[in-house]
Amino acid sequence: MSPLATRIVEMLRERPRHFAEIAEAHMEVPWREFLQAWAEVRGSAMVGRHEYGLYTIKDSQEDRR
Amino acid sequence: MSAGKPGFRDVLQALDGAGELLRVPKPVDPRYVSGLTAQSKQATLFESISGYPDWRLAGALLSTRRRLAVAMGCSERDIATRFEEGVRHPIDARLVTDAPCQDVVVEGDGVDLTSIPIPLMHVKDGGPYISATLVVSKDPEYGRNVGSYRLMYRTPRETGIDLVSPSDMRRYYQRALDQGRPLEIAVAVGVHPFEMLAASYKAPIDIDEFAIAGGLHGKPVELVRCRTVDLEVPADAEFVLEGELLPIGWTVDEGPFGEFSHITGDIKWNPVFRVKCITRRRDPIFYMLQMPWENDWLAAPVTEAAGLQALRVASVEPVAIRAPVGGCGYWTLIASIRKRPGEGKNALLALLSVAEVKLAIVTDDDINIYDPDDLDWALTFRVQADHDVLVVSGARGKHIDPSVKAWATGKGGLPTTAKLGIDATIPEGVPRSQYERLRYFARDALRLDDYL
Repeated sequence: MSPLATRIVEMLRERPRHFAEIAEAHMEVPWREFLQAWAEVRGSAMVGRHEYGLYTIKDSQEDRR
Repeated sequence: MSAGKPGFRDVLQALDGAGELLRVPKPVDPRYVSGLTAQSKQATLFESISGYPDWRLAGALLSTRRRLAVAMGCSERDIATRFEEGVRHPIDARLVTDAPCQDVVVEGDGVDLTSIPIPLMHVKDGGPYISATLVVSKDPEYGRNVGSYRLMYRTPRETGIDLVSPSDMRRYYQRALDQGRPLEIAVAVGVHPFEMLAASYKAPIDIDEFAIAGGLHGKPVELVRCRTVDLEVPADAEFVLEGELLPIGWTVDEGPFGEFSHITGDIKWNPVFRVKCITRRRDPIFYMLQMPWENDWLAAPVTEAAGLQALRVASVEPVAIRAPVGGCGYWTLIASIRKRPGEGKNALLALLSVAEVKLAIVTDDDINIYDPDDLDWALTFRVQADHDVLVVSGARGKHIDPSVKAWATGKGGLPTTAKLGIDATIPEGVPRSQYERLRYFARDALRLDDYL
């Protein structure tokens, strides 16, 4: 996982967040680069969704299935 | 303008000519375009997009009734009849081989959605969205279908797609899913509003929406064959995504999104669109449908035209019809009619049969339905609630109306709604003379200026 994708995962481990909040925290990163890192995060099977649409990191292997 | 029908760029030109287009010359990040567009009183053309040197981006082209009228080349009051006229005289599309939308073709490993400046639009969106889509699909039995479905960026080759609401393409997808096969689709972005309106129109399943768009133009829409799927798209589109809906059903998270109901919708469970090929113009313009107003004004003429048709099928003579912005151009219909006894109720039944319309009001032809005060007056003095109000329970609803509690229907479930009709026509048995408006003595013979 790229350093940027890792940073995003760390942000989500802190607490569930909306996509825009994550994007806003990385405004210095070109949009294209950010979206590529976001795809890495989404593709990792670690990401879950809160009922109000926030992104979360699943706690356990069981959750990731 | 080309010798054929007008295209997306002709609309930009028409808006510019009408003083309805703001050109933004400085470079803008795709994360800021929607927020900036929201501050503009005109449609907006961003002429430089940071990180995307080949691209421009346009939004809010149809965010007012005036802009829609400019795009349609008619007056604001004629929008519904103009649309209905086009629907009644379809012109078949024709195939061409020379297509600006295929100036550049990228397929296989080169496909990368991050090469497109997909904007971040709203605070609670699940990701960046492609909102101004024209989605083409095909079913072996029913043929071609054209609709509009939002796409949420997921990965460089995948998007989510909102396929929750009942639609012909949802039916096509279900049929493909039942056979365990993907459904090929092609997504064209940056097409003329007539194509967008035709895609929004709930045509019978065997009617080609491109023929309806041709009827609106008075000329055939020119289509080109896609490169990797057995589908056709408007040749003059700005860019096209070709690919397939994976046969996984309504299983993957999509949304939320800032809906045309002016509120943030729920997270939904939807299929995934896998992109196999991107084709585009050399200098494409990304079309961002700016929510909610642009979507509302696209919905209004379609709802109004469907209302006119429903009234005519019911043998009721319409005078005027309006799908007001307060009902997002979709959920409310107000019509004035030339009434014969009983037709206030017939008209209500007809209007409430239109799509997900949940509030219908019918008045006589002496009421100006564009004037809220005149409408309130009719509601106050022509309605007896125990006789003139109609409630229908358990009709088809739409997810993004929070009052239908769609979340309780489960993944892929469809909600129902109640519908309300108000007959604000003069009640049977009450003479029309009872409604004669007061008139001022000598008003027309006098001039206030003569006494100043």
